[in-house]
Amino acid sequence: MSTVRRGKAKRPRTFVEARAMASSSSELGWWVFMRISGLLLIPLTFAHLWANNIAMDAGQIDFAYVVARLQQPGVRIFNSFLLLFAMLHGVNGLRYSIEDYVRRPGRRFALKMILYTVAGIIFVFGVMTLWAFSYEEMGNAVRALGSE
Amino acid sequence: MYRGREGQWAFVLHRVTGVAVALFLLLHVIDISLVMFGPEGPFEAFLVFYHNWPFRIGLIMVIAAVVYHGLNGLRIILMDFTTWGVRYQKHMWYGVLGLTTIIGIPVLLKVVPEILRGA
Repeated sequence: MSTVRRGKAKRPRTFVEARAMASSSSELGWWVFMRISGLLLIPLTFAHLWANNIAMDAGQIDFAYVVARLQQPGVRIFNSFLLLFAMLHGVNGLRYSIEDYVRRPGRRFALKMILYTVAGIIFVFGVMTLWAFSYEEMGNAVRALGSE
Repeated sequence: MYRGREGQWAFVLHRVTGVAVALFLLLHVIDISLVMFGPEGPFEAFLVFYHNWPFRIGLIMVIAAVVYHGLNGLRIILMDFTTWGVRYQKHMWYGVLGLTTIIGIPVLLKVVPEILRGA
């Protein structure tokens, strides 16, 4: 009974699915975003790969190189755009893949929530690294707050 | 999905390279953020793993994936926003594969000797 199965697949079975199906305007927004961010990511990623793999030997990268590089304001601003667009483009692409291949609503919802949580935490790490906010500084700042 | 054999392969490769690059991005932000622990921290230990030859071959594959995904993304944009894009999608896909190869060969010639010297 293929007609029954087809009907089943189209019917939203959770609140999250129903909302996802109804929100065609936000889906359209993501569709446009993927194309605009994709276009921007071509110069951003190609320049990033050039600087770290072609202009130098990637095997020579060490702590001093990374710190010296991330202290340059231009690199920080460039990498901030790269991080932001790559994260949004990449996580939305992973969301498309989850929605295409994970059929069970519960598992699909759980996977997406795990993805957003992990990616959100990693994004915060990235911003902290780019703007030279060390764990040591953060620990000191927290201790300073506690002693007041 | 797109019609035709080339279109399907273009889609599959776009998916696979996209997922691979996105997962590498998450790993890459984590490894670079290890510099926050300072020069005595875990970053240098992580680099030893990164500089191993199997991982560096993996990095070449990440570079290839980025180049393919970017160029094929341009093809998708042309298909979506021009009147002629869909008509020439097959030709453009061969163009994408050709350009990826043309960019890939000098990258291989530069990076592979570095890996051999380091190994």
